[in-house]
Amino acid sequence: MEEQLRTLDAAQATTPYAESKVVRYGSLWRISAIARNAFREALRDRVLYNLVLFVLLLTAAAIFIGELSGGQERKIIVDLGLSAMLLFGVFIAIFVGVGLVYKEIERRTIYAIFSKPVGRGEFLVGKYLGLCFTLLVNVVVMGVGVSLALMYVSRGWDPLITTIWPAVLMIYMQLMLLTAVALLFSSFSSPALSALLTFMIFIVGHFSADLKVLAVSLGSASARWFFTALYYLLPNLANYSFITPAAHGRTPAAGFVFANALYAVVYIAVILAAATLIFSRRNFK
Amino acid sequence: MNNERLKSITLGLVVLVGMASAALLVRWADTLHPPVDPNAIDERLYVNDKTARRMSLGFNGLAADWYWMRSLQYVGKKLLNSTGDISLDDLSGLNMNLLVPLLDTATTLDPEFIEPYQYAAVVLPAIDVQHAIRLTEKGISANPEAWRLYHHLGYIYWRQGEFQKASEIYGQGAQIAGAPFWMEGMKAKLLSEGGSRSTAREIYTRMYEQSNEEQTREMARKHLMHLDSLDQRDALRKLFATYKARSGKCPDSWRELEPVFRSVRIPMNQAGAPLDPSGAPYILQAGACEVELDPKQTKVPLK
Repeated sequence: MEEQLRTLDAAQATTPYAESKVVRYGSLWRISAIARNAFREALRDRVLYNLVLFVLLLTAAAIFIGELSGGQERKIIVDLGLSAMLLFGVFIAIFVGVGLVYKEIERRTIYAIFSKPVGRGEFLVGKYLGLCFTLLVNVVVMGVGVSLALMYVSRGWDPLITTIWPAVLMIYMQLMLLTAVALLFSSFSSPALSALLTFMIFIVGHFSADLKVLAVSLGSASARWFFTALYYLLPNLANYSFITPAAHGRTPAAGFVFANALYAVVYIAVILAAATLIFSRRNFK
Repeated sequence: MNNERLKSITLGLVVLVGMASAALLVRWADTLHPPVDPNAIDERLYVNDKTARRMSLGFNGLAADWYWMRSLQYVGKKLLNSTGDISLDDLSGLNMNLLVPLLDTATTLDPEFIEPYQYAAVVLPAIDVQHAIRLTEKGISANPEAWRLYHHLGYIYWRQGEFQKASEIYGQGAQIAGAPFWMEGMKAKLLSEGGSRSTAREIYTRMYEQSNEEQTREMARKHLMHLDSLDQRDALRKLFATYKARSGKCPDSWRELEPVFRSVRIPMNQAGAPLDPSGAPYILQAGACEVELDPKQTKVPLK
């Protein structure tokens, strides 16, 4: 964050304020400065070390799973690789996501940031995009790892290599949603509680289809209304699970991916707006 | 040596010695553990298939893989603990209580996972034929385009001697786009000569060609060896009959038939005994015009 402050300061110190980049490029420039620093901070926190664990896991699976799987090593490589991608991503989104705001408050650097012309919303969106970029790097490297493991077990090109990428995209969208949720909770709660609540949202988000069924099957109108509302209120993460079909070589229809991408954009916008609203009311003076 | 260095070395030693001691202690504790009879005690699955699917949180594919591998390990362990050469399609005596729920859970978690259905069709008929049929039909309803499952369902009915039903199933499978031409042939063959050796050979040959699972392929290979051996023994009996017609007696040793074997290029060992499909010599029942497998050497199933 010191670096972030230096970047913002430098922009103002070298040129008169009215001509500075900060003002010239406005909000986008400030958001990108915060995002870049959030990404650097994640690197410094050794978040990407999980990739080493992932590579070890895949290497072990590629070498040993053939003995145990009864000829199903390709399916298991995809299932294992994409599930690990989702799981590691969820942990990063939750544990890094909930600390994004809290760490700045704890170190008191947030006071220095808000003494500059940085809006609360810009700060949150910048932090959010920084973590999303970290997750993107993570997911892409893992996707390449899964592709290489498939090439190893197939002794050459494997058609599954092309079919896993839409599933990787769906995983990434799911992680973006979850990061936004983590950020929302961290804007008003402690890290431990935020992590717990975000994890619960991840679980309930995968039960959304059951919520709908429950709403339909209940006799009481108020209960039906409650569960229907809950179904629409909570993020529908089950739609982003495309790992199992990908392992069978199936890809989602373009319309399905587009609809889910649009849902993610809208939902993230709503969550970040809510987070900004809550965060704006906090006193950092 | 300064104090800090001494401290580091001491702590390092504590870690190394401690880990070594822990490993030794756990080995000792294992030896004191009362032995468990793997056939007598079967654990139960903690969750049923539907609950497992709900709890999988999008990791259902991986969970299905886990249950699939557990099924293979479960059968493998039972086979290792059993005595004698047991075929995969005749495990009725091994107390396989957990196999149905394991395969059921794997296929509920990932209904498109074809391999567990195929495995169920091969292993379960000897244990519980109704579950074998139910699981294979579950696979067909989840994957109506998978003609291989029709092949396996037809196989279950063929094993039960229901050739008419098996023929119908093969006929249905033959209608699926991409089904191989021999599915239609199997339909006709089961109707005309359902219980014949050539039908059995065709079924096991296709099973050997189509399966990716090593235990299933091995089972099909052994059945094919058995069928080949039956054909060979029939041919040898014909030779005995011809020999007896000429000489008025049955052969007393293989040496007497060696020139004939040589002329028709039948593989033999040094004693002139013809070899069965596993490479073991056949045993001649001297003076009885009868031949049998050598139970000590052969790898061909005896029945």
